Amino acid sequence: MTSGTIAASIAEVDEDVALAEVRKALDAGTDPLVLVEALRKGMSTVGERFEAKEYFLPELILSAEIFNQAIALIEPHLGEAGGPSRGSVVIGTVQGDVHNIGKNIVATMLRCAGYEVRDLGIDVAPATFVDTVKETGATLVAMSGLLTVAFDSMKATVEAFADADMRDSVKIIIGGGSANDKVLGFCGADAYGKDPSEAVKLAERFLG
Amino acid sequence: MKMTKRIHAKDTMTSEERLRAAINLQVPDRVPVCPRIYYFAAKYAGVDNADLYDPTVWNDAINKCFRELGPWDIINPWGFYHIEVLSLIFPMKLLVPGLTLPRDSILQFLEEEIMEFEDYQWIMKICKQTPSLSFLRLVMKWEPKIWSQVSKGWKGYAYMMPRLLDHLLTWRKEFKQWNEKGVTPLSGAGVEAAFDSFSMARGLVNFARDLKKHPDEIARAAEAMTEGNLYLIKSASPILGIKRAAIALHRSSNDFISPDTFKRLSLPSLKDLVERLKADGMSSHLHCDGNWDLNFEALRELPAGCAVVELDGTSDIFKAKEVIGDRMCISGDVPASLLALGSVSEVDEYCHRLIEEVGRGGGFILTAGCEVAPNAKPENVKAMMESVVKYGYYDQVTAYKATAAGA
Repeated sequence: MTSGTIAASIAEVDEDVALAEVRKALDAGTDPLVLVEALRKGMSTVGERFEAKEYFLPELILSAEIFNQAIALIEPHLGEAGGPSRGSVVIGTVQGDVHNIGKNIVATMLRCAGYEVRDLGIDVAPATFVDTVKETGATLVAMSGLLTVAFDSMKATVEAFADADMRDSVKIIIGGGSANDKVLGFCGADAYGKDPSEAVKLAERFLG
Repeated sequence: MKMTKRIHAKDTMTSEERLRAAINLQVPDRVPVCPRIYYFAAKYAGVDNADLYDPTVWNDAINKCFRELGPWDIINPWGFYHIEVLSLIFPMKLLVPGLTLPRDSILQFLEEEIMEFEDYQWIMKICKQTPSLSFLRLVMKWEPKIWSQVSKGWKGYAYMMPRLLDHLLTWRKEFKQWNEKGVTPLSGAGVEAAFDSFSMARGLVNFARDLKKHPDEIARAAEAMTEGNLYLIKSASPILGIKRAAIALHRSSNDFISPDTFKRLSLPSLKDLVERLKADGMSSHLHCDGNWDLNFEALRELPAGCAVVELDGTSDIFKAKEVIGDRMCISGDVPASLLALGSVSEVDEYCHRLIEEVGRGGGFILTAGCEVAPNAKPENVKAMMESVVKYGYYDQVTAYKATAAGA
């Protein structure tokens, strides 16, 4: 069955097979929502294998690439029936930091898991996080930062939400190479994730 | 120049003797300490990060740290006065303070393709044609893609070679000045390990594809590069007067690859390089960024008593001591977050634990994990330097019995 093949090829991080099967299925008129579900199933397996330390960063990166390419093929067929959203997330790498690989993977995995994600990119000012939450109504903010200079930017962003009287209406999580309890305490966020799988678990915890 | 000055009154060894003992897995008089400072020096001295490219500003700043927060035994040679030379260690496009970033920012890396897929085959070809010059030719192929001021061909060589030589001669002069203060350099010439160079130069997405679809090409190209890496290190070492080579491994941690990938694709060329450096009487300082917990067992394949594993605070340094402490010197790993956000007593306590547990039996150098954070509290840096005097003399340690261990 095609959707099983697609899920399996994503799980095996087989780019050529996965994309070929998606194209074949679309040509055959398969329901695009079934294909999206197959992609999510495959990515879920990737996440499980990452947690089990069978897969590492290259598998996450490549599976995210496959997912994004596959979604790009499927999206024109989706129309308005995009499926229900589990919640809205704003994500970005904080001000002064331009690293984005980990943030991109988290954004993809959150989308896989059914969340609407607004990715603000890199070097994001605190005010931009606040304004985007106002615009989207997102209730989860995910900040990424690799450098130690990100600590101050994370703290400034949390404070920006407090200054805007919005701190109680969002949950804020942090991630990146330096994230730990000490950084969490310093910046005043709600939780931190050490890897993309943990980020998805935090989204499930805070958004359902 | 033979070092004679001792750092502390209780010392019975020079810093050079102490460092060599640690690397050789013998018990020195006390645990040696190297702060690993770069951007912190700018903040402490009240200058911009971009000012550090001026050797006078860099040396004034680091010496201010030495006078007021030190002393220390070992200096990390990190002054970079020609930005293009950095590409030997970081073959990536960079955002640079003062050039493409605000003057008080820090260096940042862009994941863009510098190395094309066809370069794996090209590398294997040039390593057969001109094995000694292969690494230099590779760097000069990539430099024009990283820096617009470096041209292709002979003009690029004409631009880079004087700058590389000036860099080496400036370091030689600095090493002599530190030597007069009783401080020894951690290492001299250095390269990024071949596997890691490819990861950085290909960019993570391309490299993830390469690992999946063409792993054997990566391994063969990395192994072919050993001769070229060795030639560059051996050519620069007499100029610097230091027989310790830095080998950066920014992309071989388990944050980037599986332990199986490390063993199959990264370790063979690394082992070849370390063995050949040892045969020439040189030690290797492996800068192991990221989490290496699942790679430690494989590191036992490296020759004993000639290599230092530098950990940055994300690995379990205590596990490292258990797994490889009988074969490799370990350095590290006071975390950036502790130096930036912790208290003096927390830093003191952690350094004490490192000295007692990782310093047991010798084979340990106390350092910051990777680098003292630019926003570290000065008092915490001072506490780290003082901890080796408080806790680090082996003849005074009562918690354990120090034993000599040879290679």
